[in-house]
Amino acid sequence: MTIHGLWVISKAGGLVFSRSYSDTLPPQPVNTILTLAGILHGIHAITAKLTPAQIPGVPVGGLESFEAEGWGGKVFLTPTGTKFVLLHSLPQAGLDELLRRVYEIYSDAVMKNPFHTPEMPINSSLFESKLQTLIGGVNAA
Amino acid sequence: MTIYSLYIFDRHCECVYYQDWHRTQPIRAPPAISNKPGVHRIPPPLQPNEAGAPTRESIFSETNRSSLLSNGTIDGGANRTNKLPKGLPFDEESKLVYGVILSLRNMVKKLSGREEAFTSYSTSSYKLHLFETPTNYKFVLLSDPSSDSLRFVLRQLYVGPFVECVVRNPLVKLDSRAEGIDNDQFRAAVDRHMKGLSMFSS
Repeated sequence: MTIHGLWVISKAGGLVFSRSYSDTLPPQPVNTILTLAGILHGIHAITAKLTPAQIPGVPVGGLESFEAEGWGGKVFLTPTGTKFVLLHSLPQAGLDELLRRVYEIYSDAVMKNPFHTPEMPINSSLFESKLQTLIGGVNAA
Repeated sequence: MTIYSLYIFDRHCECVYYQDWHRTQPIRAPPAISNKPGVHRIPPPLQPNEAGAPTRESIFSETNRSSLLSNGTIDGGANRTNKLPKGLPFDEESKLVYGVILSLRNMVKKLSGREEAFTSYSTSSYKLHLFETPTNYKFVLLSDPSSDSLRFVLRQLYVGPFVECVVRNPLVKLDSRAEGIDNDQFRAAVDRHMKGLSMFSS
């Protein structure tokens, strides 16, 4: 499995962090990713409304993953509304675990940083280096 | 494993066919003004008169006056809203489905930088599969979230019942914006095909 990229989307739908970790997907200008992140935020809300049948015991939620022919995306929604989006190659395994690790790093390196303003773009070298180690390890495996 | 519903969209972005199976969240028939014939067979909503709610009755009539006196509110209105089935009207839902697949398709194309097809997405309660034909018909299937890719089913529907009962049927007005492609043979063939699938029964 290869991780192509990671986005962090704030609860208002703004992109606060994006990094590319492989060169399978062509690099995109930041403005494009910003637009796409906004679109994804909207799609997430709509997909929850389209639920055809509720499975007992499972809360109705929005988009969790999407697939193209050679790659896919996985969306992880935190209880506070922040979304983590992983772009990955197919087939994938252990993405949930990986996303939880990313969330952990986010809590440690970003949320505990007193100089970080919530809902604003993340500028933290600690966050970046920790992510690089984690995802670099996954990509190398 | 369950199959919930099937939508077919034509190249004019309009839903031309709809069928559902194990749906529990209800869907409503669209209001008469935006209803397109030959797409779905959702029973039309009961007319207010049939539903028993007096609409144009005089406020001096006996029944109304007594209800006004007893509750202080107009009963008819409350009754009507209670009788309306819940859920989105069909026309709005099909637009939302089309909007979502179009946005995701464009997003996938932009991110991969080439003509790459978006195939499916899933949420905690359902999975949507998309199959696009070279003539821009979009076949959309909703199934339960744990199912594998069902694009092959959509392809089978396209090469089987669709070509047989729609394309080769001189009575179906393909590409007309005014009506859908529904006919008895097609509906029966799709139904048979779906019920024959191993993942159909839950």
